[in-house]
Amino acid sequence: MDVFTAGVWVLTVGFLVFSFVKDKHKTKESVKKALGMGKGMLISIISIILAIGLLLAIFTPESIAVFVEKQNVLIATISAALLGTVTLVPAFIAFPLVGTLINGGVGIVPSVSFITTLTMVGVVTFPLEIKSFGRKFTFIRNALSFIFAIIIALVMGVII
Amino acid sequence: MTGILKKIKENLFLVFIVLAYAVILLMKPQMGVQAVQNSGYYIKEMLLIMPVIFILTALLDTWVPKQTIMKYLGQESKFKGIVLSFALGSVSAGPVYAAFPICIMLHKKGATIKNIVIILSSWAVIKIPMLLNEMKFLGAKFMIVRWVLTIIAITIFSWITSQIVKNDDLPKENDESEAGLNINVDACMGCALCVQEYKELFEMNNRKAYIKEHSFEPDQDKLKKAINRCPVNAIEFVKK
Repeated sequence: MDVFTAGVWVLTVGFLVFSFVKDKHKTKESVKKALGMGKGMLISIISIILAIGLLLAIFTPESIAVFVEKQNVLIATISAALLGTVTLVPAFIAFPLVGTLINGGVGIVPSVSFITTLTMVGVVTFPLEIKSFGRKFTFIRNALSFIFAIIIALVMGVII
Repeated sequence: MTGILKKIKENLFLVFIVLAYAVILLMKPQMGVQAVQNSGYYIKEMLLIMPVIFILTALLDTWVPKQTIMKYLGQESKFKGIVLSFALGSVSAGPVYAAFPICIMLHKKGATIKNIVIILSSWAVIKIPMLLNEMKFLGAKFMIVRWVLTIIAITIFSWITSQIVKNDDLPKENDESEAGLNINVDACMGCALCVQEYKELFEMNNRKAYIKEHSFEPDQDKLKKAINRCPVNAIEFVKK
């Protein structure tokens, strides 16, 4: 385990102990909730990981990097953003995945646009969002999220 | 037999992936081994970080006084309201669709469209435990720069949204919400905690929770417990 992960574990256990001392009952309930959330997602998470492992064996990060490099940066970034809107990958798998891709040589700009639309724009939750907030709200919020995801990615390309 | 068939039907994607692995291991053993190694790496990383992320998320969700934040949100539309909206979105647990009913409730209590967009967007993108995860795999500089840019972006486009979308554009809520017990099936993640708590009243079907046909009056204490235990607040009870 690397230092960073160990640090997060120490922080969490510390928080947990503090929470337990303050309120035993509340803490037990939150741990149960956490386990419930994890259990509910476990099968789909493992399926997604297996799919990613397979895809990365067929298209290696290096070959993806070569392919992306050949494209126009703007087109690559917009395509990555589009891919992010339809992909259903939980964020905590997306980060190591993007880490692998960047290490394999894929540019930062398309990677950032992918990861930002992945979490911010939800094609799958579209119907539910329309039902809750109406068409106009849903359309405008998601369209603006998409545009700004690309702007964030381009600005990050300049800064990093 | 029907039990097995049901299980296969529920996990069709997983079955498909496993079959794909079998095919590739037979046809191209080298590629298959590589795929297994790739997945092994991600599963290891996930097991190392997922438990803490879920526990941190649940603890933040429990200890941050969200009721207080919500109370002030309706009245504060200027700077303080923006900060409170970001705070609410960043510490809450659950997928973004769990935020929909909360946002509708807040809007009814007077929260502006701008603040609702901030809550939804930060709920989706800015999660404090997730920021730690991002730092681990992509570095501190990457995480901080993306975080700052995201906050700026959300602040700008929430303002733009509020210029285009007006209160009238949101669906009219019929104020007499249905009396009785309801489960928001779209939000349910299938954790079965409610069934554990009250198995006479709830049942699982196709990895979603449903209310059983019942003729008895639900026990208020047990029902309340089940409602509180739901990680995504999908169970609703309105007194008749």
